[in-house]
Amino acid sequence: MALPVWRQLRTDLHPKGLEIVTVALDLEIDAARSWIERSGAEHPQLVDTAHKLDELLGIVNVPTALWVDEEGMIVRPPHTAAVERYDFSKLKAPEGLPDDLDAHIRDMLEQVKRIPRFDADHYVEALRDWVEHGASSRYALAPDEVVGGSAPRSRAVAEAAAEFDLGQYLHHAGNVEDARTHFRAAHRLQPENWTYKRNAWELVSPGIQGPTEFYDGDWLADIKAAGTENYYASPGF
Amino acid sequence: MILEQLEVTPPELERQTGWELKPEGLCKEDRCVPLPPGAATDGRLDATMVAERLGMPLVHDERHDVWALGPESGDHVLASAELPPIVLEDVDGRPFDLASFRGEKVLIAAWASW
Repeated sequence: MALPVWRQLRTDLHPKGLEIVTVALDLEIDAARSWIERSGAEHPQLVDTAHKLDELLGIVNVPTALWVDEEGMIVRPPHTAAVERYDFSKLKAPEGLPDDLDAHIRDMLEQVKRIPRFDADHYVEALRDWVEHGASSRYALAPDEVVGGSAPRSRAVAEAAAEFDLGQYLHHAGNVEDARTHFRAAHRLQPENWTYKRNAWELVSPGIQGPTEFYDGDWLADIKAAGTENYYASPGF
Repeated sequence: MILEQLEVTPPELERQTGWELKPEGLCKEDRCVPLPPGAATDGRLDATMVAERLGMPLVHDERHDVWALGPESGDHVLASAELPPIVLEDVDGRPFDLASFRGEKVLIAAWASW
């Protein structure tokens, strides 16, 4: 979980004029609460239970970040922001699992290890460069580049946002089963949106996001279908 | 945005989508879409008409009789580089507008517990 890294970056860069806001894309506030309360962060820590950031900014996976300048203009549209240094090659399945679960988790870990990672040190260097040099930083984009670099929004993507909105509304109103109909529709309309999928899967298969009777896909099947190289979009620098 | 009836007031539409009712129609950034004559005379807009004019999806849950009006489709999610008003909450339910920062650089980082 990247919260301690964001906290450290904020400590380093706040004196130089950077604020950080973290937003948990969690349907359930309580799923994010303990992480937030333990983080010790001094910056605003928000929760987006309706996934407004997906609809309004085009976010489809986490970790994702965007940079906004002093005038409220986006200078770097949403991009993969991996700031954690983590050795994924050391991941191991827990001991003592039943055979079928053990095989499923081993297969998941193999996929996790194949996901291309981006250089965390390079990301932090780019961020420092922008904080220091502002608009003259080569990492700050012009407004037309920001618009052109934001996610495409086809009719299907727009419909997926509306379906997820209905789903989250029904879910929070206590109509958990009826919500799934709309989550399924959002998954079908925008298969590349991992936040719509993983949030819904997590509710019915916590921790594993494995196959269930409720959804057509699951994390392992879907990442195999999509290809691990397509899981995180390149941050573009 | 969630609708419990097939109509929306102009202030609510503007708050949730950024489309503002003006004499020339519904406007956002430098774009205005004309409305049929008399469309907003009683202070409410027909949601089906708004969806059709602005190119927004309107999806329905029959069992609960509730609708969601989605965003307008087009080339890209961002129509301008200006950060739109996005009001979220902290874990205690206090509202916070992401566009409320001025005078300092801001990095907005999305993460999740899952």
